[in-house]
Amino acid sequence: MSQTQQQVEQLIQSRYKAGFYTDIESETVGAGLNEDVIAMISAKKEEPAWLLEWRLKAFHHWQTMVGPNWAKLKLPAIDFQKIHYYAAPKQENRPKSLDEVDPKLLETFDKLGVPLHERARLAGVAVDAVFDSVSVGTTFQKELKEAGVIFCSFSEAAREHPDLVREHLGSVVPYRDNYFACLNSAVFSDGSFVYVPKDTRCPMELSTYFRINARDTGQFERTLIIAEPGAEVSYLEGCTAPMRDENQLHAAVVELVAQEKSKIKYSTVQNWYPGDENGKGGIYNFVTKRGDCRGDDSRISWTQVETGSAITWKYPSCVLRGDRSAGEFYSVALTHNHQQADTGTKMIHLGKDTTSKVISKGISCGKSQNSYRGLVRMAKRADNARNYTQCDSLLIGKTCGAHTFPYIESANPTAKIEHEATTSKIGDDQLFYCRSRGMDEEEAVALIVDGFCKEVFKELPMEFAVEAKALLEISLEGAVG
Amino acid sequence: MSELLEQFSAPPLIELESDLEALRKHAQKVLMQHGFPQRKTEAWKYTPIAALERRDWSSDGPDESAARTESIELPFDAHRIPVHNGQIDTSQLNEIDGLHIEPLRAEQIDTSAYVDHDPSDAFAWLNLARLEQGICIRVTHTLERPLALQFSSSDQFKQAAHPRIRIELAEGVEATLFEQHRLHGSGLINLVMDLQLAAGSSLQHLMQRQNDESALIARTEAQLEQAAHYQAYVLDLGGALTRQDLKVHLNESRARTRIHGVAALKDKQLVDYHTAIQHRVGPSHSEEDFRILADNHSMGVFNGRIHMLPGADDSHSDMNTANLLLSEHARINTKPELEIHAEEVTASHGATVGQLEEAARFYLRSRGLNDAEALALLKFGFAAAAFDALESEPLRQWFTDRLKQAL
Repeated sequence: MSQTQQQVEQLIQSRYKAGFYTDIESETVGAGLNEDVIAMISAKKEEPAWLLEWRLKAFHHWQTMVGPNWAKLKLPAIDFQKIHYYAAPKQENRPKSLDEVDPKLLETFDKLGVPLHERARLAGVAVDAVFDSVSVGTTFQKELKEAGVIFCSFSEAAREHPDLVREHLGSVVPYRDNYFACLNSAVFSDGSFVYVPKDTRCPMELSTYFRINARDTGQFERTLIIAEPGAEVSYLEGCTAPMRDENQLHAAVVELVAQEKSKIKYSTVQNWYPGDENGKGGIYNFVTKRGDCRGDDSRISWTQVETGSAITWKYPSCVLRGDRSAGEFYSVALTHNHQQADTGTKMIHLGKDTTSKVISKGISCGKSQNSYRGLVRMAKRADNARNYTQCDSLLIGKTCGAHTFPYIESANPTAKIEHEATTSKIGDDQLFYCRSRGMDEEEAVALIVDGFCKEVFKELPMEFAVEAKALLEISLEGAVG
Repeated sequence: MSELLEQFSAPPLIELESDLEALRKHAQKVLMQHGFPQRKTEAWKYTPIAALERRDWSSDGPDESAARTESIELPFDAHRIPVHNGQIDTSQLNEIDGLHIEPLRAEQIDTSAYVDHDPSDAFAWLNLARLEQGICIRVTHTLERPLALQFSSSDQFKQAAHPRIRIELAEGVEATLFEQHRLHGSGLINLVMDLQLAAGSSLQHLMQRQNDESALIARTEAQLEQAAHYQAYVLDLGGALTRQDLKVHLNESRARTRIHGVAALKDKQLVDYHTAIQHRVGPSHSEEDFRILADNHSMGVFNGRIHMLPGADDSHSDMNTANLLLSEHARINTKPELEIHAEEVTASHGATVGQLEEAARFYLRSRGLNDAEALALLKFGFAAAAFDALESEPLRQWFTDRLKQAL
């Protein structure tokens, strides 16, 4: 018995494998937020003047706003003046290629299993690696350039492609959108920029890996993906942070622009540090993700596997503006110990014959709280629009909570909306069956949970599906018994 | 809204005993502090309270004009309690075995569930702040005839009235409560009803409303003890503004509830249902089915909430809402919520919004019905399903007849 107890404890401790810290000399701006800090971030990134102006406008607006309190989250007040808004590994000059990047940094990403260096190029995924506030390198840039695809860090895009950035930045998520998006607009550091030209299918999967390393910093990345008419792109995003007793803030904004007949697939495996088993530490994850299906017949698909973060506040949305455009949202959110997640999606149907599909799977263990919050809105002009939503929750343990808050608004009689939701625990008969076939309880639970999430996992690109499944199994360890 | 608040917070006319007076003062304080719900108040997001502001509330004093002596028809003999222009009249209920009527006492008013840090429960506080006449009906034996609460108001009725009624069912008692509303004029009835169901008791609560321009804001809260059973059936056939909060607390094991409702709306009518079922202890059981048909410029709102607390193990809950949008100017907003804090439970909800199938209309037309008849039949079939579970045949018939007439 005691041995089992010990094993379980070991397992819980081994749960977060990305919790190490990289000891690297870094350059950090003093804590606090004011106009000087914003001007400094902008100067560091050698940004054009209009961008600084935009940041300051956002900052002034943010000062007039109050944080949202409608989510089902217990959240202590965040002291925004205690956060460092910029941290970057020290380097004399900007590295021109991966060879010039500090080996310690490459080692970090190597340890995290992110293919930055040559030999890992065999994996065939172009990667942009973001360490604290800066991008340390982007692979495959040459090959992508040949196809006409631009894939680089956001800072580089602001310098090299200012017109594209200026045209689209804030066009999907305006800086006034919400409290955290507004904060991000003022202080955003790095992120990825993707531009896929007309009738081009991006020749490989694109991926960004975000790593928070420095203490007391926040990460505020901004990602912008533009798919021109007929373009297609699949983008993956992963993230981790060291284990620390203090909470750290992550407030990102992702904007997707899908023109006529284009397709964007955006997958996330979110594995920020969730805090320890007593709820100490962990990342506060406040993210605004929105895709705009601007053109007719365009398509945006969000897939997310959320296992990390102490607090998740995230609603990847689709604005279905073009006729016959389609939005999809597939989500698995697992919460354990004291984690809290309030996540879901918004599907705003504006165009005719638009369709959307929402599949959400929530798993709550330990003392965690897991909420699905979604909106489906059929505007007056959305003739023959269709939506199907399914959200299922699984409860593992007596002290956790699973909640569903779906908003359904329809102003068009020809639109059809179907919503269904269930909440239950793992059936004793299912467990008994698995155990009678020789599995122990933990294996049985993992198998059943895997089956419960199958509809979402099958939407993930192959490499991510394997990772997501493994991550879920690790996250479930110690949840039973 | 401030004018409205001023009008509502003027000192009440009738003096009450000190405990009630203290409650009234407290309610006034909460109301003055937070005011009425705004557009951003989540629980009132879809109820256009601002429309009340535009009304003329200036005429003061109770409306003594020729009372509209409409007697509301009932399909059966009942113990009638007319509530005309908000005035509760219990004169017809003398010396009935098992029925006791008394003025409401302060200790019978429980405000512990009222939100006092924002305007979500402003109208419940308003009811208390303007409390003049509250009654408590105690049912100590199973009654032979149902109780009928008949709300009416005259064409000249422009004021706001705040009746408060508490009904207590003793252990093992079975009762049927018929609640009818025929509100005319352009006033506001802000009703609060507290229902107490002792162990093993059973209440069948039937609500039927057909109002004009008068607004109705009703809050019904039922507390159930062990193995008590509360069933509510609602049929709304109009009203410029009808807001019904229906809260059921399953406080002890084997308590169960079923709430079903239908709203058939037209013109600029609005019905906003806010239901909340709380499973405190398991096993307990709840079932909910609301159907809204919105035509012309009407708006139908359903916000259902199932809340399973820790300890509600072995409980089960099903919630369903189906909505028909029949006009391009009508609106449906719905939000079926689940909040689950117990593991050994099952809970599910389903929601649909759409229109009638073209194929079904075509089929009926091919059988000789004209389009209007086909439409009416399909609408009727869609809505009447909510009353299928009503055990009493005459009651079911009465409900479905009313519905048929309206469609």
